[in-house]
Amino acid sequence: MATDSETKEALDGLKEAILRYDAEAARKAAQIIVDRGINPVLALKEAFGETANVLHERFDSGECYLPHLVMAGDAMTAASEILESAVARDSVAAKKIVVIGTVEADLHSVGKNIVAMMLRSGGFEVHDLGVDVKSSMFISRAKETNADIIALSSLLTTTRPYQREVIEELESLGLRERFKVMVGGGPITPEWAKQIGADGYGADAMEGLEVAKRLTGLSS
Amino acid sequence: MLSLLDIAERMQKGPKLDENAWNMGLFHKMNELTERYQLYYPEDGSILNMDDDLADRAFQAALDFLVDKGVYCLSTGRVLQFTEQEILTTIKGMPREVAVGEGKDVRVLKQRRLEEKEALNHCPGHHAPFDEKLAPLVIKSFAEIPTADYLEGVNFPMVDGREIFGLPLEVYAAKREATLMRQGVTRAGRPGLAIAYYPINTRAPVLIAPIDREVGLRPSDGILLSVLPDIKVEQDYLTAAIVWEEYGGFKLNGSGGGYVGGFSGGLGGALIEGIVATLTGWIVYRDIACWGRIRSGMALASAKDISVKIPEVWATSVWSQALHRHTNYIIFIGAGGFSGPGCENHLLEVAFNAVTIPINGANIHITRQYRARMNASQSPLDAEWSYEVAVAVMKAGLDKQATGDLLLKLAEKLKGRIPEAPYHDIREFYDLVHHRPLPAFEQAYLKVKEDLTRLGLDFS
Repeated sequence: MATDSETKEALDGLKEAILRYDAEAARKAAQIIVDRGINPVLALKEAFGETANVLHERFDSGECYLPHLVMAGDAMTAASEILESAVARDSVAAKKIVVIGTVEADLHSVGKNIVAMMLRSGGFEVHDLGVDVKSSMFISRAKETNADIIALSSLLTTTRPYQREVIEELESLGLRERFKVMVGGGPITPEWAKQIGADGYGADAMEGLEVAKRLTGLSS
Repeated sequence: MLSLLDIAERMQKGPKLDENAWNMGLFHKMNELTERYQLYYPEDGSILNMDDDLADRAFQAALDFLVDKGVYCLSTGRVLQFTEQEILTTIKGMPREVAVGEGKDVRVLKQRRLEEKEALNHCPGHHAPFDEKLAPLVIKSFAEIPTADYLEGVNFPMVDGREIFGLPLEVYAAKREATLMRQGVTRAGRPGLAIAYYPINTRAPVLIAPIDREVGLRPSDGILLSVLPDIKVEQDYLTAAIVWEEYGGFKLNGSGGGYVGGFSGGLGGALIEGIVATLTGWIVYRDIACWGRIRSGMALASAKDISVKIPEVWATSVWSQALHRHTNYIIFIGAGGFSGPGCENHLLEVAFNAVTIPINGANIHITRQYRARMNASQSPLDAEWSYEVAVAVMKAGLDKQATGDLLLKLAEKLKGRIPEAPYHDIREFYDLVHHRPLPAFEQAYLKVKEDLTRLGLDFS
């Protein structure tokens, strides 16, 4: 059984590896945690939660960039593979899954990319479908991955109806209750989100992350 | 010189690459090039680049990028590769000036020289959503601005009372945008004023539909065909480029800048991205001009305050210098800001950006709020203001050092201010019928003008 200082050292090692964007180091740090008999669920919650906050602050302040969030996400994934294998399946809260993309006929991606990376580094499993994504593709990928949230970006006033189309298609397939839908993008407003029956709206990436957490019960 | 059909073939036959691999490869390459060419902000508080050699190195870094990495085609997941010879000979084909519009409204868009006092080209408006009923008066009002050399189109969510949704209505709306623009400029007494189509969306039929010599877009008009972030291009845009090229219309790149914080990484990467994106616009689509800036991608979505990021202003000057020193590219810089129009903050932001324009050898692009809002993104007064400021700067004969000093003073004024957008509709602050600001807006304008007069600019 690890002592308090051994536990702290191990958890700090994991956090540092993630914040250094080092997937291999994160994997090794996770293995140390498992080998020392430290509660992996504690590691997942504490280390990932803290590092996510640091990463988002860094990104917000311009200290790190999108690729860093990708690499941090890779490090978290590498670590969680080790940690999750060490616990009974039912004692680990399954990662919440988001399918995200820019809607059909729209090629804007900057905001969507930022949201995707924020979600990933915030502990979500993210499936980014890219841009110009047909409504049916959002739904089929959400079904395949058993997603929790479908996140739709639109940067043109004339492409935002495709956000509504996704919701309407979910309804017609009897799947509306299965997935939460959140929307965002330049011409998107809270009024539009409400009008089309979306479950959440984010004015920017940070807000999008909070909305996603709320929709999946990860925050109050 | 590469032809657009060469590009089309490379989009189909270039090596396959996963998009995520391209994105991360971009980051690593930009880091490598930034280090190789030492493209770092000098950390001495400079707001404009004083180092010609650095501008030259930035350009070389961009060339290296294009040769080593190429450009990514989103549609096919393939990389377009080029030799250095191909890039250099293709760039040589860029025109230094292009005539747009027709009849008495013909204007010449041209590359201005750095730090010179040549006449500015001006695109005062649009690239913004206005509803269909309001759009005609808005277009007319902007077309009445005498300095307008061309106007960009508007878009709208409804056409003839129907929601624009699905390809048939999108094509119909595209044609309608063109006729609305033509009617608006004609009503302003400028029937030949050049119009740059602002795509309703990005599908090829929608990009081509507005072409119509009689009631739509003429060979003297143009279209926005922009390079996508992270140096990506796309087949629908190339399709449109080929059609427009043969038709004779001009093409513009609305993404000549680079994004700090995106997949290009930090400031150096964004700077290289900006130059590469500008060159790519010409190489892949034959865009004859671009507008852009180096800025934070995150801040475009939401800025907490409108304080000036001095290194980004510096990087924009490097971008502009690099392109001026090595190409004929006609450059515009956007004069808009984070704040919505009608208020002091927006006018100050517009003034700041307008001051950077002459010294950077650029022309003036729209004053639209970054995050465009229906019916409330900009007004004719902010457009006219941007031109007033740029002319005043030229009249004052400010060199780079003096312009930099003025910018630092303006940056101080903007420091810590919160982006505000007090109005929801242009009619709340601007009288479109009589082409004048309403009293509160006029007050704000006069105050900001007085502030700049005290800083040494002469508006007489």
